[in-house]
Formats: sequence, structure tokens, C-alpha cells
Amino acid sequence: MAGLRDDAQWIVLMGFIVSFSLFFVAIVINQSTVVGQTTAEAVIEFPKNDIRGMRDMIIQSEFLTDEGVFNNKTNVQNDIKTLSLHRQNSVVSFSSRNPTGSDPHTYIEIHYYNGVTAYNETWRSN
Amino acid sequence: MVMSENGQLYTIEGIAAALILLVTAFIVVNSTSVYTQGDTHINDMQLELLGSDALSMLNTAPNSSFGKSPLQTIVETDDSALFRTLFLNTINNTTGPGGDRIQYKANVTYVDKDGFVSTLPLSDSPHPFVGGEHAVRVSQWVIVEKRFPDCSAGSCSGKHAVLVEVLLWRD
Repeated sequence: MAGLRDDAQWIVLMGFIVSFSLFFVAIVINQSTVVGQTTAEAVIEFPKNDIRGMRDMIIQSEFLTDEGVFNNKTNVQNDIKTLSLHRQNSVVSFSSRNPTGSDPHTYIEIHYYNGVTAYNETWRSN
Repeated sequence: MVMSENGQLYTIEGIAAALILLVTAFIVVNSTSVYTQGDTHINDMQLELLGSDALSMLNTAPNSSFGKSPLQTIVETDDSALFRTLFLNTINNTTGPGGDRIQYKANVTYVDKDGFVSTLPLSDSPHPFVGGEHAVRVSQWVIVEKRFPDCSAGSCSGKHAVLVEVLLWRD
């Protein structure tokens, strides 16, 4: 490459360095706006409060009793299943096992599924 | 004065590059405050947490006794005004002067005696819900000693589960 002036190589190199660093910084800025969004979306999509409420109600309902004409336990448990399906788009099912002679605990099997999140628990009384 | 002037351009460029890097560093450090459309999810999340905490508080009996919670009484007696007072006081409470500007609309959803699901309005805030608001929904289960809708026959009462649903938005 005879006769080619190579004085400006350093300037060209600096130009490359600056432009590449600007490019990466642009990517970082671009990503940083997405971080808060995806985190908040994940929190909103996870039905934490639905699961808490449903679980709390099932455990409460287990200790209601049907008294005479008032089918308290049956009514409340049917209401939980119906309202969960209609208002929270979730299938809820549960069953319980009463204390036996050798085991003084009450057990409740809780199942929750809303098409995205599934929650299963075997609750045991103290 | 014999002085070499060969490096002047390089010096200028070096300073220019340093300034560019400083500016980009400044932008990156500040970028967490960049507000985009998608970030409204963050507000939604906070509003949802606030609302569900407020409803949980209303649904807790005084001193954690076995008595009825305020929310239970409100739903049974359809006390719109009491719900408004308690709920607005809770959600619009701030540490600074003045309150927040959160508005709400509350409904009760129930299963009637034929097994159909229906909704009745419970209470709403001074600003009515017109549909254009960016609202979030929170809900709270309540066991009430009442059959919705009103039923006079004795066997209609007893305990039933209903869902109190609240739409929340900030004016």
C-alpha cells in the first residue's frame, strides 16, 4: 500500500469505539424501560389475592355446620365453587378428612386452577 | 518558542469523546425515571395491592375477636355510607398533607337460591364510574348471614359466601 497516508488511523479507531459504545448504551436504555413493566405484569398476572381469599374461605367453611334448615356449610362451599368459576375464572375443588382416633388433625385438600396458575395444598389443622 | 503542534486534533477529539461518554453515562444513570406507556402496570400493581389490603382490613373483626367484621356488617345491612367512609379513609390516607385521589365502585356478587350468579351495587365514591377510567379490580370473600337478594322465608337465611368486588382508579 505504497503512497497511502495512514496518519488518521487513530481517529478512525476512536470513531469506532465511540459509535459502538453509543450503540450498547442505547440497548441498555431500551431494556431498562422494560424491566419495571415485566416485573409489574408478572405480579399482576399471578392471582395471589384470589388464591389467598379462596384458601381462607375453604378453611373457614370447613368449620361451619349445617344447622336444621340452615345448610350453612353446604351453601358456603357451593358458593365458593360457583363464584370462583364465575368471577375469578378459576376451577376450585376441595375435600376434607376428619380426625380419626389415631390422628387428631383435620386435613383439607385444596385445588385451584385458572388456566395459567395451579395451586394445590393439603392443609392440616393444628 | 519551539513547540510541536502535531497533537492538537487528537486532543480535541479526546475531549469530545470523553464528553460523549460522560453524557451517555448520565443518560444511563437517569434512565430509570424514563416513563413509558408500559410502566402504567407499576401503578396498577400498587393500586391493586393497596385496595386488597384495605379490603382485608375492613374484613377483620375488631381486636381479632370472633365477632363480625365491619365489612360483614356492611354487606348484611347494605350500609353504603359506612363503607364509603371507612374505605375512602383507608385508601386515601397519606403521610403528607391532603389525601390521595382514589375513587372506587363496589359491588356484591352472590349466588341466588336457584344457583344463578348476580351482582348488586354496594357503594361508590363521589365521582361516579363512567367507563373511561383505567381501573383495577380487587375482591374480598365474605361469609354473611343473609340470602341475596332479599328473601323473607326462614330457610332462605343462614350463612352464605359472597364476593365483594371493588373497582379502583385514581382521578
